[in-house]
Order: sequence, then C-alpha cells, then structure tokens
Amino acid sequence: MIGVLIEIRESQIKDITYEMLTLAHRLSTNQPQEIAALLLSDNAQPYLDSIKPYVHKIITVENEVLKNFNTQIYLPILTNIINETKPNLLLIASSGFGTDLAPYLATSLNLPLVTDIFDLELLPTHILTRRAMYGGKINADITTKSLPAVVTVRAGSFEKISKPINTSAEIIKMPFAIEPTILEISKFIEYGEVPTTGIDITKADILVAVGRGIKEQKNLEAIEKFAQDIGATLACTRPIIDAGWLPKDRQVGSSGKTVKPKLYIALGISGAFQHLSGMKNSETIIAVNKDPEAPIFSVAHYGVVGDLLKILPLLATKIKEMRG
Amino acid sequence: MGIETIDKDIRNTILELGGTDAYKCYQCGMCTALCPWFQIENVNFLVNLIPHNVKLGNILTSEIKEEIDKEVEELFRCVGCDNCLAYCPRGVNIGDIVRAIRRILVDYDSLPKNLKDIATKIFSTGNPQGDLVEKRNNWAKKLNLPTYSSELEYAYFACCIPAYDANIRKVAEATAMILQKANLSFGVVKEDVWCCCETIRNFGAEKVFQDIAHNNINALDKAQVRKLLVTSPHCYTTYKNEYPALGSNLEVFHTSQIFAQLIKDKRIIPTKAINKKVIYHDPCTLGRQNNIYDEPREVLKAIPQLELIEFENFNRKDSVCCGAGSGGLWLDWQKGERMSDLRVKQAVDNGAEILAVACPYCMIMFDDSVKTMNLNLEIKDISELLAESL
Amino acid sequence: MDIIVCLKMVPDTSETEVRVDSTNKDILKVRLVYTTNEADNYALETALLLKEKHGGTVTLISLGTPQVDEILRMGLAKGADRAIRITDPLFEQIDAFTTAKVLATAIAQQKYDLILTGCIASDDGYSQIGPSIAAFLKIPSAAYVNQVKLIDNNRMKISRELEGGILERKELSLPALLTIQTGTNTPRYASIIGIKRASSKPLDVYDAAKLNLDQSKLIGLTELEQMYMPKVEAKAQFLSGADDEIATQLATIIKEKAGL
Repeated sequence: MIGVLIEIRESQIKDITYEMLTLAHRLSTNQPQEIAALLLSDNAQPYLDSIKPYVHKIITVENEVLKNFNTQIYLPILTNIINETKPNLLLIASSGFGTDLAPYLATSLNLPLVTDIFDLELLPTHILTRRAMYGGKINADITTKSLPAVVTVRAGSFEKISKPINTSAEIIKMPFAIEPTILEISKFIEYGEVPTTGIDITKADILVAVGRGIKEQKNLEAIEKFAQDIGATLACTRPIIDAGWLPKDRQVGSSGKTVKPKLYIALGISGAFQHLSGMKNSETIIAVNKDPEAPIFSVAHYGVVGDLLKILPLLATKIKEMRG
Repeated sequence: MGIETIDKDIRNTILELGGTDAYKCYQCGMCTALCPWFQIENVNFLVNLIPHNVKLGNILTSEIKEEIDKEVEELFRCVGCDNCLAYCPRGVNIGDIVRAIRRILVDYDSLPKNLKDIATKIFSTGNPQGDLVEKRNNWAKKLNLPTYSSELEYAYFACCIPAYDANIRKVAEATAMILQKANLSFGVVKEDVWCCCETIRNFGAEKVFQDIAHNNINALDKAQVRKLLVTSPHCYTTYKNEYPALGSNLEVFHTSQIFAQLIKDKRIIPTKAINKKVIYHDPCTLGRQNNIYDEPREVLKAIPQLELIEFENFNRKDSVCCGAGSGGLWLDWQKGERMSDLRVKQAVDNGAEILAVACPYCMIMFDDSVKTMNLNLEIKDISELLAESL
Repeated sequence: MDIIVCLKMVPDTSETEVRVDSTNKDILKVRLVYTTNEADNYALETALLLKEKHGGTVTLISLGTPQVDEILRMGLAKGADRAIRITDPLFEQIDAFTTAKVLATAIAQQKYDLILTGCIASDDGYSQIGPSIAAFLKIPSAAYVNQVKLIDNNRMKISRELEGGILERKELSLPALLTIQTGTNTPRYASIIGIKRASSKPLDVYDAAKLNLDQSKLIGLTELEQMYMPKVEAKAQFLSGADDEIATQLATIIKEKAGL
C-alpha cells in the first residue's frame, strides 16, 4: 500500500495532494498495490468526492481538533494508521505542514525519510529518490535501506492527477484516540497574513522585475496588474528604489536580495553586474529589453529585443485569452 | 559612551595588525574635514576619532546590538582614497589603521554581507562576479587576441570588471584596438591570473588576498611575464606597490602611460575630431596614490577638437573619490550618501559633456549616478575616446 | 531561559559553481569558503535576542571536524556563553537520521528550555535535523518559525511561515525545538570586545564515548548513491516576429513556466 497524506488548509485540499496522487498512481502501475488516502479532518464528508476517483481506499480520522494541521496531534494518529495498515511508502507534501511533520514522524517510528524529492522509484526492498542539493546546483539520488519509507514531495514535480482509477473507493474510518495532554503541548491559534510591507521577494516562485527601461512611474501600474494576473511578485533594480517608485525590500541585486525563483521576468533591465549577481541562478529567465547587447541576455533563457511598453499590453491580453 | 580604562588588548591587537600610525595623530581634525564624506550632508564621519579610539582601545567595545551595527558600518565607510593622508601634517595613514581593524572583524564574520560574498566569490572563482574562470578571456578570444608568451613584450591584464562585465568590456576592447593599431608587441595574460585583490585587502580580507596574490605571482612568473600592462589603477598599485613584498618582480604600466608614450612616439596618431568638452576625473589610486596625473591628460589633449576642462578646486591631488574603493563598489549607500553623485554633479557644473575616467571602478560608479540622476553627461574611459579618434 | 543553538558549518556555494567530485558522492571541495549555515545565523540571533530579553544562557553545539571551532568562536564572539563541538571518526559519514540522534544525545546531557536550529541547511537542503532532534527528545517542535514570544516560563507563542504568504500562529509548551526561518531578524556583527571575550569562553569537545554511542547505535536509514549536475537549459533563445507574435510565444512560455 502507498499512503498519501491529504493536505488540507483552511478547508481546501491543496494542489500538492493531487500531484502526490499522480506519483502514487505511477508507482502502483509499475508495482501493483493499493493507494490509500489518509484524511485527517474535522469532517471528512466534504473532501471524499474529490479524492475518491484516484484512490483505492480513504482512511479517515475525524475530530474537531483535526480541523487544522498540528504535528503533535497528527503524530499518534498517523502512528496508529501506519501500524495498522503497514504501507510500503508514505507520501507527504514538502510544504509548511509536511516539513514540520515528516521528520518528526519518521524519526519517532524509526523509518527512513527523504525530504523534498522530485522523483521516486519504488523497488521491492527500498526506494530510490531524486532531489536537489546546494540550492539546486546539484541533484542527488538517495536510497533508503528499507521499507516502509517516508518522503516529502516537492510541489510542482508532478502534474495534478486527472484520470480516475477507481469509482468505488473504500472508506475506512479509524478512531480518534490521543492522550489529552497532547492538546496542551501544541495548540493551533489562527492563520494570519504576512504583512505586505515585509514582502519577501526571495520566497516568490515568480518574479516580475522592472528596471529603468519602464521609463515612467505611471507604467508601473500596468506591470503590477500583469504580475498579479500571473501570480507573480513585483521586484526591481536599484534605480527604481532610488526613484522611490518601489520600496527597498523589492530590490534584487548584490546590494539588495539574491533571488532564485522558478521564473524571473526582467522588464526593461539592462543588467548591471550588481543586478545579475542577484538573479542569474533563477530557474528560467525571460528578458525584454530594447538593446540586443544588454548584458541581461547573457543570463536569460528567453530574450525579446523590443519595446516592452508595446509588448506588455499584447502579452497581458494573450495570457487572459489563454486562461479563458 | 566613553570608557574608564584603556583596553590594552584591543589597542595592541590593532597596532600589531598594522595600525601603528594611530600614535602619530595629534587630533587636528584635518582628516575629517578632507574626507569626501564631509561634503555629504547626511553623513557625519569623524575620521580623527579612529586613531584616537585605537589609542584608547575603545574600538567596538559596546555590547549593544544597535551600537555595534552602527559602528561596524561606520568602519566600512572609509573608501581608502587617501585624501586625508595627502594633507595630514603628521602623515597618519588612516587607511592602514582602518584595514587593521577590519582584519579582526573579517576573521569573525563581522562585515557587511555584500563584502563577505565578494571575498567568497573571489576566493572561489578569482573574480568578484563569481563567474567562471574559463570565461575570463572570452572578450579577448572574440577579438582573436594572442595569449601572452615570453617572446612578446607586454602582458595585458584587463581587470575582472572589463573582463566579465558586459557593460565595461568596451574598455578592454578599446585598449586592445589601440595596442594593435600601434603594433605593440603584447599578449593577454592567461586565465590563471585572478583578481589582484587590492579592494578586498582594503576591506580586511587579508587571508584571501594573500592566497590569491601568491597564485597570481606564480602564474605570471611561470608565464615569464616581465612587463605587465593593466587597465585598472587598482591592479596597477597592487602589482607595483604590494606584490613586490611577496616576491613579485615586474615592470608595471598603466594603460594611460603606454597610450601617452605611443602618441609621443607617433606610433598612433589621433585624427578623428571629438568636438566635446571633456573633464578628466583623477582616480585616487592612479593620481594621489601613484602620481600619475599627466599621462591621461596628454592622451586626451592629443585628440583633435577635444576641449579638456578641469574640475574647479577638485582636480589632480584634490580629486574626489568615486566611492568605489575598499569595497565601496559593493556597499549600498543610500541615495544622498553617494560620492559618485557628488562627483558627476561637479562635472556637470563645470560644463562637461563627457566625464573621462581611467579606472573601471569609477566608470561603474559614475555610470550608475548619471543614470539614477538622469544627467546629460557621458561617461567614457580614456581608451574609448582615444580609440574613437584613431 | 537556557537555549541551545545547533550550528552547521557549510561551504558557501551560493555565489559559485558547484561540481561533483570523482566519487560522485560529494561535491568538489576545491577553493570553497566554509561558513555558518545561513539559517543557523538567524537561529543564533533569535537565541541572543531571547537571552537579552529574558536572561539565561546560550549554548552552541556543532558536529564536525575541529575546523568548526571557527564558527563556534564566531558565535561566542556574538554573545553565546559556551560551545560544544562533537567530533569523532565514527560520526564522519552518517545520514541525517543518525546526525539528529548524535545531536539529540549531546543535547540530552545539557540543561535546556529551548532548542533552536536553522530551518534548512544550504548544502544538503534536508530541513530534517531539527524536528528529528525533537522527536528523539520527545519534545514539541515547529519548523520554519519566524516569530517567537515567551508567554511565561512554560509556554510560548510562535508563528511560522506557510506557502503563499500565510502565517500559522500556535502555542507550544517548553521545552521545545524551533527551526528558524531565514530573514526573520538581522544577525548581529561581533564586536571586538566580544571577540576578545570569546577566547576565554568554554568550548568543550565531545566524542562518541562521552555520548555513549558506538557503531551499533549509528546505523543510518538512508544512503546517498550519487550526485550529478542537473540539466541546464540553453542560454538566451531570442523570440522573433511581429510584436503580436512575440507576445503569443511569450504567453506560452510564461503559462508553462508559471504553471498557470
């Protein structure tokens, strides 16, 4: 059996759950075995239909205190499930929740753990995982010496599952049983928002960065709107900070922040070396600049030589069309 | 603040690391008044207190985070321009004292993060950009320039900035073009010669300096280089004044010296007119620290129609630093706290259309200031102007 | 409040190329600068701020070769009270699980109310040791913490950062372990007086015998099989055509890379 821990935050199943189900499905195709969703919640009912088509079993545990994630409370419950059902492999999201839980759980149960994997093979006696090291500059293959094993799965490594495998998943209710003292050790209070003044551009997956090439402050509005549309955070070069168009925490470069997003879109940035050193390790870099000799193109993966003020409105429209 | 007894340990450590000049100081305050920071309204940098506090052992004796942070940052303000030394009646070398203090801090990871990153990059890759060693001479390969070998006369080292920074590469390209036009016997130094490390030594990264200096000296020795020609005044002063103590024995030339000589010998003749008002900025490291004032001016004067003007009150020995020295290039001074802003403003006020430089550091700083201040002033290296005129 | 901070010495590769060595199991360790793991600096600063506010002690623990004394001394110079280096040939090639076990064993021999580690190591990127130590010690833990506030001697309020700019606020009882998120404070500089004092602060060295650990207790659960370079995309492919065509191509790329 492969267990997949369903990740729910604020009553929403997170996308990573469906990505892990894709992985589980692939593994069970190569080595036939059941896929079980582990669903810990205050009330399983609203979530069942979304998960049912993709698993053989759903193991549910319900209690009011399971409404919000909590490592200390999950621990005895998952321990019980693992002891009862003996999975070969447990998939947990490499997320704020999973990173908190997985090492604690695996260590308590003396199980091997590999964190933040982006690929995995399940073999008869162990697993082979692939993950990044040294900030993505190196990849490594890591095996466990035994099964069962626990892994945390990096978001975006697998497509979301779309093809149903099953229409009659079995629902197994397991009891909620914990020592009441646990509730005192670790208490969830609330969710909050990171204050917007303290936006951390180093944590964004997508950055739209602007430089002097945007020419006037009023052009920022359209760019900001564009960034919003594609779920990006706005960043910039030093001259933009100096001009007072954006706050200092948006600055990329050796005198600002070093960033490494999945996608970096450089608009009107020629690429002073101070700036390049702060962003050249981004996974994908798209640069739009008038000057074909601009140094930004020496680090970009995709380059557009042209007038960004003309291209941007067209691009914004195209993206809207594509998303329907 | 203030202390009750002299901390002899702190005092003696700083003296041992090279801060002995503190004892020459009689607190006249000339250094504070002459420091370029003095011209910047928002900054109150009391240079004379540095030797004073060294004598008392009262350097970074606070245990309050905010006070420590502030004092460390202040200690990294000095750009090593030596304007104070030029006028000090007692010949106190503030740069040496500051460097001694910084050496202690660097060993304990107590330096601005930007500078730490620069030292790391230079140690690992040999250049402050952290770029690949094998890319160092890409600019020269594009121009099919020969690599230096012992039958050639001059070995040319372009400095990391023109070599790796696409914005400044034009300086090395112009230099190569001039040298070729003059049929000078030269080749480009191989990739195994790395950053001279002048700047990082000044901000206290002595161990990295020592390591790479020895590497460079050995590499040049192996290549049998005798005459080294450099674009950067920072490389110039390091090879000429610092490396000999480590066993280097080279004749060192700044490009401006060679250009002036080639013009004098009529091996190149500037013919194309540049009908512009050009003001020349003396880099601290070339002028004040090495007395090379005339050669760059001779190069500019040889260009037809070019009108060479001077900074009123602030030329030659009194030139105002661009702010890039001793790590300043990588420190993020707020708007309103930048020496380069002050300097380009002076250039414009003096009526210049082009600000001519002879140092890659100055070029980066002034380029940046002109762009952020939206000034109508071109920044050009003397090599670019000369090449245009040939 | 007695706080333990775990520090790891790592090569600073953030600004440099990394290559795999001939064993394929490690990176080429040539011309690397070793330094305190970035996130651990924030953990140390959190500890020093708590000590300033509530009193108590800060003890540093690091597992490694005698070279790690460098980072321990830096931590002492910044205001930690004592340091422990754990060094033994038996600990040289151990996995994350066993590393946590060794650290937990050493910590169990100390008096502590709070244990702090960085949220992630910049070399292996495991994010595993902290919570794993807590599991060995059977104390509560929280990962990626960006705020810590003591309620009283037995409880604290923390917040931790989740994806998408969401904070999770919770209450934990002490003793507890927190892994500290980067960027949550400004790690301090060492002052010269601090550097001077550091030389007389205790730095103890523990070996396997001191920790009652022998080979049989150091069997790992995972193995690093090989390292290799990730595939890199070719540089700057220029998009051409009319502005409208360029916009279409760009939109396709953005859609794919941004996962819209």
